Amino acid sequence: MSTPTVLDRPSPARLPVAAARRLPSWSTAVVILAALAAYPLVFADSAAHNIGILALTFGIAATGWNLLGGYAGQVSFGHALYFGTGAYTTALLVRQGWSPWLAIALSLPLAALLAAAVGWPCFRLRHHYYSIATIAVAEIVFILVTNLPGLGQANGWELPVVEQSLANLQFSLLDKRPYYYVALGFFCLAALAVWLFLRGRAGNYVRAIRDDQEAAAAVGIDVHRYKLAAAALSGAVTALAGGYYVMYVLFVDPPSGLGLDLSVSFTLMAVLGGVGRFWGPLLGAWVLVFVQDVTRQEFSGSGRSIDLLLYGALIVLVSITEPGGLLAIGQRLWAPVARRLGRGRNPETDPEPAGSAEVKP
Amino acid sequence: MTDLLQSVVNGLLIGAVFALVAVGLTLIYGVMDVINFAHGEMVMLGMYTSFFAWSLLGLDPLLSIPLAGVSIALTGALMYFGAVGRVLGRSPLAQVIVTFGLQVFLRGLAQFLWTPNTRTVPRPWAAGLRWEIGPVVIGGPQVIMAVGALLATGAVAYFMNRTRLGGAVRAAGEDPAAASLMGIDPRKMYALCWVIAGLATGVAGALLMNSYSASPTAGVSFVLMAFVVVAFGGFGSITGAALAGLLVGVAQGVVGLYAPSYTLAAALALYLVVVLVRPQGLLGTR
Amino acid sequence: MRKITSITAVLVLAAALAGCGGSDGAGATDEVKLAGLWPLSGPNATQGTDVLHGAELAVEIVNNDHPGLDLPLGPGKGLPGLGGAPVKLITGDTQGKPEVGAGEVDRLVTGEKVAAVIGSYQSGVTLTASQRAERLGVPFVNEASSSVALTERGLKWFFRTGPTDETFARSMFDYLKARQAAGDQIRSVGVFHSNDQFGNDGAGVTEKVAAEAGLPVSVNVGFDPTAADLGSQVAQVRSKSPDVLFVLAYTDAAIKLMKTLDQLDYYPPALLAYGTGFADPAFATGLGALADGASTRAAWSGEIAEKRPAAKTVAELFQQRYGAPMTENSARAFTAVLALAQAIDTAKSVEPAKIRDALRGLDIPGDKTIMPWTGIRFDDKGQNTGAAGVVEQMIEGKYRVVFPAELSSVQPIWPMNKAQQ
Repeated sequence: MSTPTVLDRPSPARLPVAAARRLPSWSTAVVILAALAAYPLVFADSAAHNIGILALTFGIAATGWNLLGGYAGQVSFGHALYFGTGAYTTALLVRQGWSPWLAIALSLPLAALLAAAVGWPCFRLRHHYYSIATIAVAEIVFILVTNLPGLGQANGWELPVVEQSLANLQFSLLDKRPYYYVALGFFCLAALAVWLFLRGRAGNYVRAIRDDQEAAAAVGIDVHRYKLAAAALSGAVTALAGGYYVMYVLFVDPPSGLGLDLSVSFTLMAVLGGVGRFWGPLLGAWVLVFVQDVTRQEFSGSGRSIDLLLYGALIVLVSITEPGGLLAIGQRLWAPVARRLGRGRNPETDPEPAGSAEVKP
Repeated sequence: MTDLLQSVVNGLLIGAVFALVAVGLTLIYGVMDVINFAHGEMVMLGMYTSFFAWSLLGLDPLLSIPLAGVSIALTGALMYFGAVGRVLGRSPLAQVIVTFGLQVFLRGLAQFLWTPNTRTVPRPWAAGLRWEIGPVVIGGPQVIMAVGALLATGAVAYFMNRTRLGGAVRAAGEDPAAASLMGIDPRKMYALCWVIAGLATGVAGALLMNSYSASPTAGVSFVLMAFVVVAFGGFGSITGAALAGLLVGVAQGVVGLYAPSYTLAAALALYLVVVLVRPQGLLGTR
Repeated sequence: MRKITSITAVLVLAAALAGCGGSDGAGATDEVKLAGLWPLSGPNATQGTDVLHGAELAVEIVNNDHPGLDLPLGPGKGLPGLGGAPVKLITGDTQGKPEVGAGEVDRLVTGEKVAAVIGSYQSGVTLTASQRAERLGVPFVNEASSSVALTERGLKWFFRTGPTDETFARSMFDYLKARQAAGDQIRSVGVFHSNDQFGNDGAGVTEKVAAEAGLPVSVNVGFDPTAADLGSQVAQVRSKSPDVLFVLAYTDAAIKLMKTLDQLDYYPPALLAYGTGFADPAFATGLGALADGASTRAAWSGEIAEKRPAAKTVAELFQQRYGAPMTENSARAFTAVLALAQAIDTAKSVEPAKIRDALRGLDIPGDKTIMPWTGIRFDDKGQNTGAAGVVEQMIEGKYRVVFPAELSSVQPIWPMNKAQQ
């Protein structure tokens, strides 16, 4: 394949555009949801359920990241801040005896506000300056929570064990399917919110801003406002993941709720699955959670683990192979099969012609 | 007052270390527009090289500087040809993710090969040096690291700004298409850039062994600071990074005296304030 | 073409990962399965593996005949109370992460049907993992997490064999009292701690016990464990010149602190650490002579092995098996596993509730352990009341017991910088 643009200095605004423009159809959504709903019935052991619950929860966060980082082109390495907002708000209120549903619901507008408040000054910064600033903000909050009294400090918070019920969001550990299906429900909610945003005018505007901010401003788009809108929804969606996560683990401390590793993992999930693609983050979350779990269980134990080694190699290989992530690799492998099956060219599943994944602005 | 003075001096010296660590990072950014998340791991490999030169060959960290420099320059070349060079022209995010994958891989490799144990050179030659100026004590390793930082920063800045080859690297960075018309192969220049960044980073790693310990996660505590220093100074500006390093170091030193838990937070906050007032950083142009 | 090659590589890698997912299921039905949760990968993998070795050795001693070894279940094979059933240890890797530890408890209890859980080295992981065990109704025995809060949660299935930070603090203040009696001047103490859970908890306990002992805390410095430099923080301590400095730090910070003390040529008369970084073998090898003079608390010491025949045999077996000396961590895990095995043997059942009741009624005298303890007996909170600590000082590159006097063979060096000359 020809790569005529390879030596051009990459413009930071350039992302896989052709892929991003497509939003999922109902038929794709139904197939994916059916598969997700069947998963805990097919794989019945606790470990598989645990993987599923974590994958869906992190899938929510990565989908939230993807809205801002993938569709709006604002690459944040500080999204753990919003995950932590969800986790900490929920933990704080549940410890006071609140219903977890109310607590999670309350944390969403809070995270949206916080995301907008962080975005307000930081969106003046472009490209890498923005990315590094998001790290700085998240790390400062990490340090404050670690040290200031009132938020559990470094010790973190344990949530009380109460009666198992849907209202309390606590279920039996012997059969984790309720945890899984609630996570699936939350994921659907998050996906729907992101989909509604992207389908509307705001969705077109943020993609225009990502593709060329100056051009977008020139045609009269209020760049700052739409970046803030994307950031707010992105923050709220990520907080939803944090709120549910803390109800599942019943514990939060700064590394597990606000750490830089967490921020990076959201980015990684989105990129590995397919950045700026609707189902990419979910796929990335499943793959990463699965790989981490398997490598941890199979390769550690001698004190000389190769789990990180394999994990790193996988990230490098996928990103070298295909900028569109695993979703694009899957589509490329699927294409000849689909042709052989005699299907016509379907814009939903067919790969875009080679080389067009990177569209020049 | 004595403590304050001591803290400022400590801060300046540690600031020089930040600047030293940041040299390679800012070079790659300046030329290729890539944030190298694996930078801390390159520092870490440099530290291990220096440690093993001591434990196997009995070399003092100061004597293993060339060895560490060359080893990490080779590592840089490997990273470029094996991974980063294959995603040229892709989105910045795609390039960042490749370097992130390298970070995880190299950290995993170090853990696999050398276990997570902390390795220290017990008594490097520099640790025997010590100066007292009035009430202020200055340690040998700190001074050596600061001098090394100054020299490395100066050498890289000289290379980039005063030599023909450096000019070619810069040209390839600024306008690859025009550079190729002039007969410069941008790919070769990018590779060279990784080699030089590796050299500077390896030197930094060996210097750090005068005072710090090597472990698979040794790069972490420096690299976050290096990111901040590079953005603070202005991406791509080598002198900017040096200046920012000193500022951040002093901020950390002074805050450490009054609110020791918030040293890192103070440095980050200082960076945020500056960059929000001056979005291109101290000496950045973009 | 290159694309296809790398796609293939991705697939092969993925298949390799997936292929490893198979488990080594069926074992003998009459064996007693125990889960061991430790950080077997990640930054604490070395300590985690060391703990694991201690636990494995205990299992080996239970399962095989060790005539003449004066420890519970030493002679004879397996658990006599269960018809000689062997014990099987199934490990889970926590990576030192609280959330991973919690998930592993679920997996091992519901999937592997373990009778009880042992773990998890770090206090944070023990916290979440033991909460899961509580919800699942399975006994959880902790070996080496010293955070006081763990046994203050009102859990019904949680037991800790090792000492708490408070027990350690009392041992250290008893040591200070002994030094005062010997004529050393101690008017104030300082605390220097990393501002994480371990450091914060330990600092709180130190302040509490110092107040009881009537010693003022003149300076309390919490530092960021990732800080590249501790010069300012040490300068702050120096300005208050406490007579004793209590330190809570991991390996990296412990080494940094000792180097900074040397650089500033400031040494408090005594430095008493809460183990951890100071107990890491990398501390002594990395610092060489600079480590001399530092003191630390310990739950076990190689010197104890020289005074007790059982401990000596165990330490030798450990050295033979793993080619490394037994450490405080492995000794603590060894003891926890042996105590749990003894309880299961007494219960004559693998039913969790019966094991728990047996743990509650457990009474192992001190001389039937390898520890410098008065025994293993749990109070209502699940804390072993017989656990105690010793104080060691680094003298000529080796930790030597300096307190209590009956276990020590050397005199402490006070002030500490005399040890450096």
